[in-house]
Amino acid sequence: MPKNLPACTKPFGEGRFSGQVSEGGQTEDFMNFWTYLPQLLSSGITIGAIYALVALGFVTITRASQIINFAQGEFVMLGGVITFFLLKGLNLPYFLAALIAIMIVVMIGFLLQVSVIYPLRKASVLILIMATLGASIFLSSTSALVFGTLPKALPPFSGEQPLQIGGLTVVPQSIWVLGVTFLLLIVLYLLSHRTLLGKAMEATSTDPLGADLLGISRNLMVFLAFGVSAGIGAFAGILITPIFFTSYNSGTLLGLKGFIAAVLGGWGKNSGAILGGFVLGIVESLSVAFIPSGYKDGVAFAILLLILYFRPKGILGSPFIDSRRW
Amino acid sequence: MQTKKEFRKRDFFYLLPLWLLSLIVPDADDLYSYRSKEFKRREFYYLGAVLFLPLIWSDPHFHHLMVLAGIYAILALGLSLFLGYAGQISLGHAAFFGIGAYTTAILTTRYAFPTFLAFWASATTAATAAFLIGKPILKLKGYFLALATLGFAEIFLVIVRETQTLTGGVIGIFGIPWFSIAGFSFDTYLKQYYLIWGVLLGLFLFSKNLVRSKLGRASLAVAASEDAAKSVGIDVAQIKIKVFVMSAAFAGFAGSLFACIMSTANPEAFSLGFSTLIVMMVILGGMGNLYGPIFGSILLTYLMDILGRYQEWSLPIYGVILILLLIFFPDGIGTRVGIRLIYLIGYWAKKKKRDEGKL
Repeated sequence: MPKNLPACTKPFGEGRFSGQVSEGGQTEDFMNFWTYLPQLLSSGITIGAIYALVALGFVTITRASQIINFAQGEFVMLGGVITFFLLKGLNLPYFLAALIAIMIVVMIGFLLQVSVIYPLRKASVLILIMATLGASIFLSSTSALVFGTLPKALPPFSGEQPLQIGGLTVVPQSIWVLGVTFLLLIVLYLLSHRTLLGKAMEATSTDPLGADLLGISRNLMVFLAFGVSAGIGAFAGILITPIFFTSYNSGTLLGLKGFIAAVLGGWGKNSGAILGGFVLGIVESLSVAFIPSGYKDGVAFAILLLILYFRPKGILGSPFIDSRRW
Repeated sequence: MQTKKEFRKRDFFYLLPLWLLSLIVPDADDLYSYRSKEFKRREFYYLGAVLFLPLIWSDPHFHHLMVLAGIYAILALGLSLFLGYAGQISLGHAAFFGIGAYTTAILTTRYAFPTFLAFWASATTAATAAFLIGKPILKLKGYFLALATLGFAEIFLVIVRETQTLTGGVIGIFGIPWFSIAGFSFDTYLKQYYLIWGVLLGLFLFSKNLVRSKLGRASLAVAASEDAAKSVGIDVAQIKIKVFVMSAAFAGFAGSLFACIMSTANPEAFSLGFSTLIVMMVILGGMGNLYGPIFGSILLTYLMDILGRYQEWSLPIYGVILILLLIFFPDGIGTRVGIRLIYLIGYWAKKKKRDEGKL
């Protein structure tokens, strides 16, 4: 593993975008806010796309089983870290490294379902939360053991040269992030609305007993959903690692923010997850202009408390919440 | 005749270990019995053990661990009121613990308060915070309540890290004085042990009375079914917030004692991992049982101490142990030990007979 990584000291969340902005973006020079606005927006959209992907991972599992997997963030972290290891440690080509990393993470997702979720399929909500949190502790600390605790940064997919689009400086990686997110969305949409598998998954979630009567294996659906969700998480990890440094403990916070994005947009809806992700990313990015950048992580949780208080259904409404009267 | 004789022999054989186990392990019959107001003999055994064990076994490491376990037990006892008796979920009790610790730290180091006053101020602050935060979020259920309390804990951590003039930021506050009452300072492990377990005993008696009171019965009804509780005229929101505030006050007491004994307060101690640990203590002890959290906290404090020796391997092992315990003991380790043993024994006996072709 290469020792001389470029300035890998900042933890996740203070990447290149927010680092640029927070220096001049305080309230005292408010005029600067308007000059920074497009830049903040573009970085917000980039991180928003990542949040949307993490949120989609949550929603995929929820649509199959109404389980919330608190280890979702670790899939993102593992995607980035394993790709880094394959790329730098084994000198594989970028594409191959990413592909193998995604496959490994999908395997980990399957294993997680078989070893933790399946034995606890009849357990209460609290037990499931604690078990997935335990899995999250296990995955992140094992990653620290195997791949080291240094923050890792992948090279961008296509060069470091920033693009100038109408006076706006955009890193090409942002465009990659948006493009791949869009593609994944289409694939997921097709999977959940146009295939028998997606419909079967939704059936197990809305009416488990009815699905059983129709001969749909509930455990198989949850198993597949964990694989898909882990794959989405790994994708997000590979996309984000060239922009923000990924270290072994960055997964938990990302996972929580993805969950917040899913709740914000409308729990259990793909469209809600995407909208919530972008809204959360943009609001968080804009908040840097008004409050000290250290409070940035608190913004997401403040939004969460507000949305849970005023509109628990989320922006777009949720198919699960009305029926269960929480 | 043959079978009866066999049964008697086996019965005698298993009764001895069962009886011994039932002496040690608390059972969950506290939960729905309101009549037993007097203390049982077993409870005097526990009291005796708590009083005399540190004198008999005078190992400072043991004393220190028991002090930590006692602090965690206070916190877990409060959480078990909210988790087990009111049936809600909270992943944010580390924040109330932290609020208690920071209140004591700031009051004693900045404003030179006596620790005894700071002790009460911590509980009041934590309870006030719980009241303010509980009003909006306690209408949530399940996953969303867990997420909201977790969000509160994260916001607390962010605020602590950023308000550096007040809380010392990431470094924290050092040099908090020992706990002292009227000039008597608790400066050795043994004195601290008696302080902590004395406080724990007081709070335990308080909660033992609480769960038999009107509020306690109402909270049990809320845990069983909110709709049914509402239909018999229980103000569900009121009950939930009362229990939440009370458990936060417990956490405030524990945090204050923690700050006095560790003589530091820094944000790393109050993260999500700590909340997880405390909830695990409540689950492993068995929910809906007041002895459970105390036993769970002693067990997990020792487990953490043993795991601490394996350095970087400790966290992966901890994760695996946590998952395994949840899979095999979802109701807690000590819950219904007798019944579970009888079931197991019966199962093996039947299996043996089935293998022999008799059944």
